[in-house]
Amino acid sequence: MINKKKLDKILNKVEKPARYIGMEQNSVIKDLNNVKVKFAFCFPDVYEVGMSHLGLHILYNLINNEKDYACERVFSPWVDMEELMRKENIPLYTLENKEEVKNFDFLGFTLQYEMSYTNILNVLDLSGIPFLSKDRTDEDPLIIAGGPCAYNPEPIADMIDIIVLGEGEEVTLELLDKYKEYKENGWDKETFLRDIASIKGIYIPKFYQIKYKEDGTIDEMIPLVDEAPRVIEKRMVRDLDTMYSPETMIVPYIETIHDRVVLEIFRGCTHGCRFCQAGMLYRPIREKSTSRLMELAEKLVQSTGYEDVSLSSLSTCDYSQLQLLVSSLMGEFGDRNVGVSLPSLRLDSFSIDILKEIEKVRKSGLTFAPEAGSQRLRDVINKGVNEEDLVNAVTYAFNEGWSRIKLYFMIGLPTETDEDVLGIKELSYLVKDLFFDRPKEERRGNFSVTASASCFVPKPFTPFQWVKQESIDEFRRKAYLVKDNIRDNKVTFNYHDAELSYVEAIFARGDRKLSKVLINAWEKGARFDGWSEHFSFDLWLEAFEDMGIDGEFYALRQRNMDEVFPWDFIDIGVSKKYLYKEYQKAIAGELTNDCRLKCTGCGIQDCAMRGVFN
Amino acid sequence: MILRVKFNKKNYLKYIGHLDLLRLFQRTFNRAEIPVKYSEGFNPHPKFSIANPLSLGIESEEEYMDIDLVEKINTEDFIKRMNHILPKDIQILDAIYPDDEKSISAKLSWALYEIRFDIEKDLSLDEVKSILENWLNSGEIMISRLRKKGKRKVMKEEDIRPLIQMIQVKEKADNEVTIESVMRVGDGGNLRPFDFVDALGNNIELGMDVDSASLIRKALYIENGERLDKPI
Repeated sequence: MINKKKLDKILNKVEKPARYIGMEQNSVIKDLNNVKVKFAFCFPDVYEVGMSHLGLHILYNLINNEKDYACERVFSPWVDMEELMRKENIPLYTLENKEEVKNFDFLGFTLQYEMSYTNILNVLDLSGIPFLSKDRTDEDPLIIAGGPCAYNPEPIADMIDIIVLGEGEEVTLELLDKYKEYKENGWDKETFLRDIASIKGIYIPKFYQIKYKEDGTIDEMIPLVDEAPRVIEKRMVRDLDTMYSPETMIVPYIETIHDRVVLEIFRGCTHGCRFCQAGMLYRPIREKSTSRLMELAEKLVQSTGYEDVSLSSLSTCDYSQLQLLVSSLMGEFGDRNVGVSLPSLRLDSFSIDILKEIEKVRKSGLTFAPEAGSQRLRDVINKGVNEEDLVNAVTYAFNEGWSRIKLYFMIGLPTETDEDVLGIKELSYLVKDLFFDRPKEERRGNFSVTASASCFVPKPFTPFQWVKQESIDEFRRKAYLVKDNIRDNKVTFNYHDAELSYVEAIFARGDRKLSKVLINAWEKGARFDGWSEHFSFDLWLEAFEDMGIDGEFYALRQRNMDEVFPWDFIDIGVSKKYLYKEYQKAIAGELTNDCRLKCTGCGIQDCAMRGVFN
Repeated sequence: MILRVKFNKKNYLKYIGHLDLLRLFQRTFNRAEIPVKYSEGFNPHPKFSIANPLSLGIESEEEYMDIDLVEKINTEDFIKRMNHILPKDIQILDAIYPDDEKSISAKLSWALYEIRFDIEKDLSLDEVKSILENWLNSGEIMISRLRKKGKRKVMKEEDIRPLIQMIQVKEKADNEVTIESVMRVGDGGNLRPFDFVDALGNNIELGMDVDSASLIRKALYIENGERLDKPI
């Protein structure tokens, strides 16, 4: 346990000290001397961000439900806290028992975005754990990682001992059970890692060697031990109703990003948007039944006291029993001052009846994501919505009293022209006209439309994994093209930092050669790179320069059809052939139907979807 | 129906701010199924208020809040249900139905704080006592603080001496001094305990390590003629 008196002294000086104290309702504090496996779960960002992550609540409760295991939380200390911890020599500690992270058996990271990688290094450093697997001893915790970015783990492969691919509900306990067995019968790290290397979904990076071609691309990935498979299949839970689902959530004292009950209604998505990594990674679609969801909602509301239940999934309106679910929830919780909210609405499936049902909720802003400004480009990315969908949805929203609309777009999508980009302005103006064309007495509220554009980052396991990213100059030119053409104080245009997206693109499709850049950037002071106030592009350019790595090779290079990618050893179920076919169709502007209508042959084995839907 | 409640706030939970504490109570009322009255309007919220919000980083042995209830409930039952759900470092200590209409915030006018701090000089207990006595009897105790002046914020000098009723030195162990002080709270003048600590830190004779100060609010009082009474 760390020195609490020293801690108290620094907590008085930091911003939001409640980030560092734990003790929240439904947090679990076990006697660490009485458990067999101690697992420190780290979301490598600040507390409020990490606590909003559903996966944390799932794994935390999953592990703590087992008598012999303890899971405790760690977050990245904000810069003010880090400075004081270093000054006072306070090592990084878990929130529950205030125990040093380095005394745990496992330190697990969830990899939600590439720009958190320097925070991982910082967490290791503050914990007194060496960065590289090869430098760690049997005394150090095993470093384990999972989450969406684990689907290309290569930029951090040198730092992680165990990478988990896919859903963690089952494999996490298999792993901990195995660990306990080894601890009881004689511990040897090497034997243990070899043993688990053959568990489905487990990747042990140090058991592989990468051979590169002269042009810098990958020639071959060679397993170094017999136990290490050439191809690693992702883990996927078949039945979401019988799967472990948390019946409680930790309730933070301070306000977090999502301060409410999060009810996960299904996994996977059938739309096949070509830019979307989640849509490919989490196939096939699997639902929880309405009766199971009602049971979970009751327990979650009861154990948290939250006044809002948010339905979570990749595309909420696709839930086959949404009408029934929403009316059941309203029936059960309506008089108990508990509201229901539906994020992730799509324009095409915007359901008037359902929104009417939840009319009780505050009519603040509504958000739509057309993603691209023109129909041509929306067809390229297979975003199956058109202008009519937007008109219908927005008209309905205005009729019902909403007055603030947000529109999300991407710029730099493949085949994009200036005309496509200016479509962002056209759509925003269209929304404005829809509001002001209504009779004056029917206009309610203070109208505004905000269009936000992010810079497109090509991601692994998408049909666009072959394409080059737009250059920073082009991103800027296009952003200004829109900005300079919008002259209306009701229409606001925001765009994301192109430099940050460029660095993100490098790591998204990077390989093992990048780990030294990461370490170098951290040494130069890189932290919280996802926060624009902390991101320093010059620092990163220097780090690439110093390490002799060409960032453009990763971000701006168009790949050949037959290039071996760093992530090709992972089998997500969707075939590379299918992704390439989708890429070709994208370039030709051809649409692919929602696979609930007709199977599109993505390669997912015994897909249960057709049984659930139609 | 107003229920007046006494509660405490200890240990690490002193780092929970006022708004966060309100949210904690709101969720606890929900879970404990306390029939709290909700405000009318577009965005209804439960009607309860905590008197004289505590500054972040200060523990308290006795805080008060008034809760507006839809119907009268048994106070023992209320305490039991709430404490079952509340964290162990925030617990309900007592609850009554007050006779008069006046809100708890309006009634309170003094607070008792215990303040522990380290001193850098080697002083005896008696020396500390006489330094503090001289400090209080020296006339004005000036502090400068940011005050809003329209939209701008300006530094303003202020004499806090009238806001301090008394200081008592309780203990000195090694270089740690423990004092108690009664200070003004509420609308009739309010002394923020950290301003008091800063002012004391300016006293050169004492040589106080301001960073080491830890504070506990021991009590809140209603002024009753010459007497100070606790609300419950």
